[in-house]
Amino acid sequence: MQYFMDLVVVGFSIGMVYALVALGISFIYSGLDIVHFAHGEIYMLGAFIGVALFKHTGLSYPMLLIASMVLTGLLGVAIERLFYRRLTRAGGGYTFAGMGMIICGFGMSIVLQNVAYLIWGAKPLPFPVSFGMPLEIGELTLPRSYIWIVGAALILMAALHLFLKKTRLGLAARAVAHNKEIAYLMGINVPMMISVLFGIGCALAAAAGVLVGPINYVQVLMGIGILIKAFAAAVIGGFGNLPGAVLGGLLVGVTESLGAGYLSGSYKDIYAFILLIFVLMVRPSGILGVSIKSKA
Amino acid sequence: MLEIAGVEGGYGSVQILNGVSMRVARGQMVALLGGNGTGKSTLLKTISGLIKPWKGSITFDGQRIDGLRPDLIVRRGLVQVTQGKEAYPGLTVEENLRLGAHVRRDRAGVRRTLERVFEYFPILGDRRNQFSATLSGGQLQMLCIGRGMMSEPKMMLLDEPSAALAPQVVLDIFRIIGRICREGTTLLLVEQNVRMALLLAEYGYVIRDGVVHIEGPAEKLIGDDNVRLSYLGGTVADRDGGKNLRH
Ligand SMILES: Nc1ncnc2c1ncn2[C@@H]1O[C@H](COP(=O)(O)OP(=O)(O)OP(=O)(O)O)[C@@H](O)[C@H]1O
Ligand SMILES: [Mg+2]
Repeated sequence: MQYFMDLVVVGFSIGMVYALVALGISFIYSGLDIVHFAHGEIYMLGAFIGVALFKHTGLSYPMLLIASMVLTGLLGVAIERLFYRRLTRAGGGYTFAGMGMIICGFGMSIVLQNVAYLIWGAKPLPFPVSFGMPLEIGELTLPRSYIWIVGAALILMAALHLFLKKTRLGLAARAVAHNKEIAYLMGINVPMMISVLFGIGCALAAAAGVLVGPINYVQVLMGIGILIKAFAAAVIGGFGNLPGAVLGGLLVGVTESLGAGYLSGSYKDIYAFILLIFVLMVRPSGILGVSIKSKA
Repeated sequence: MLEIAGVEGGYGSVQILNGVSMRVARGQMVALLGGNGTGKSTLLKTISGLIKPWKGSITFDGQRIDGLRPDLIVRRGLVQVTQGKEAYPGLTVEENLRLGAHVRRDRAGVRRTLERVFEYFPILGDRRNQFSATLSGGQLQMLCIGRGMMSEPKMMLLDEPSAALAPQVVLDIFRIIGRICREGTTLLLVEQNVRMALLLAEYGYVIRDGVVHIEGPAEKLIGDDNVRLSYLGGTVADRDGGKNLRH
């Protein structure tokens, strides 16, 4: 029982990291209709920016997290403006961007890996934030880094929820996600909103990177594995569905952790996909359903 | 208020508008008529900035707006209510209406306009917290018109507000449209319901093959043989039948 609970705690924490990345991917998909294949690298850059800030500034960990989210978000906005948006001119906005956009995403992921390599090198960097002694709750020993992951992720998810449901800009964001033409006719600055949406998606990935950094090393290729798992998570929950992305992330994290603990650690990476295949067999549109939207 | 001069445009390389010229005076209601696929919606989208005109000029309230981004045109007080009752199904009635007020920052004023819309369309007030996906066709049309009112525009472009609605609802909608105009909003009304439109509007344009084919004061168009034959089913318009619409 003790062992089981430990595995669940670890799985749940890692699941929150997957959930944040999956949330970013689903958020960008629901808003811009693009499947962003360079999102793992955004996560990686977020982690590196976090490490760099840790080394060169005296920022506290929460401030570090926020600063990295802001910087990575802005970087994402720049990438979207400079590269992705050009592609949309080929075919009526983001809607039918299709194949070109996917290739561009893959290309961007390779470019960003190499940029990170040139700046930070191939050696994994430590991210030695000290969180203090683990927390003891009855039988359970909780490393504080896990508490940070879960706590920060929940706060970010709640903040995103409140932004979307309670603010004027959030309402506009939902409108843009659903139908850009009508959003324009509401007087919404659609190109600007697209940047905001993309920036938020990237900031979520950066948060995941900064949160996972202290329990892992930060390295150039860390984005590859997470991308695949975050995709599995997003699809399991229902692609483009935001609560679904969170649910999918947690399921992937816990399944993986239990599988590694009870079955075999060397096959750790396949459990997510066994789960994915199982879910898709039972519910092809994911657990909470693919987000449905009208054209445009 | 709105002046269109020699506007050409279309989609991609397909030309739909072949030089449209028309004007709408402040406070006026003008009807824009024409058969299916003649370019009425295309013209409205060109005015509201969703598609850019290739040639010609569009002047609104004394300033050129052709080529401007659609949201900036809305900010100047020109709002389009599209054909096809396009509300956001995943948003509630009130959220849809609040979207219409996106360009406004005065919370109290927005709340007042919201109450005004609920006074125009009481059913929307009753359903303010329901998802708009649950509304009937008529209610959706009311929602779209109400949403257009939310920014308190100087002028509204209405694209076939009576399409595919039950006769009683059509009457309600036209009554409201008349009231919106009387309360000071300039209107350009696209309609298939030609008789109703000409009874309400002061002036009318008939568009065919992307150009203005016939134009004139509404009373004159109702009596016009060409208009009657093409769009009024060939019978003499019963003008008294719709008189009560005027007040
Ligand atoms: N998005 C589009 N892309 C290409 N062609 C289009 C598009 N929308 C409309 N058209 C074409 O432009 C022409 C004019 O269409 P438009 O919608 O302006 O007509 P309309 O007068 O509004 O007709 P209706 O009364 O049926 O609404 C039609 O031939 C139509 O097929
Ligand atoms: Mg039309």
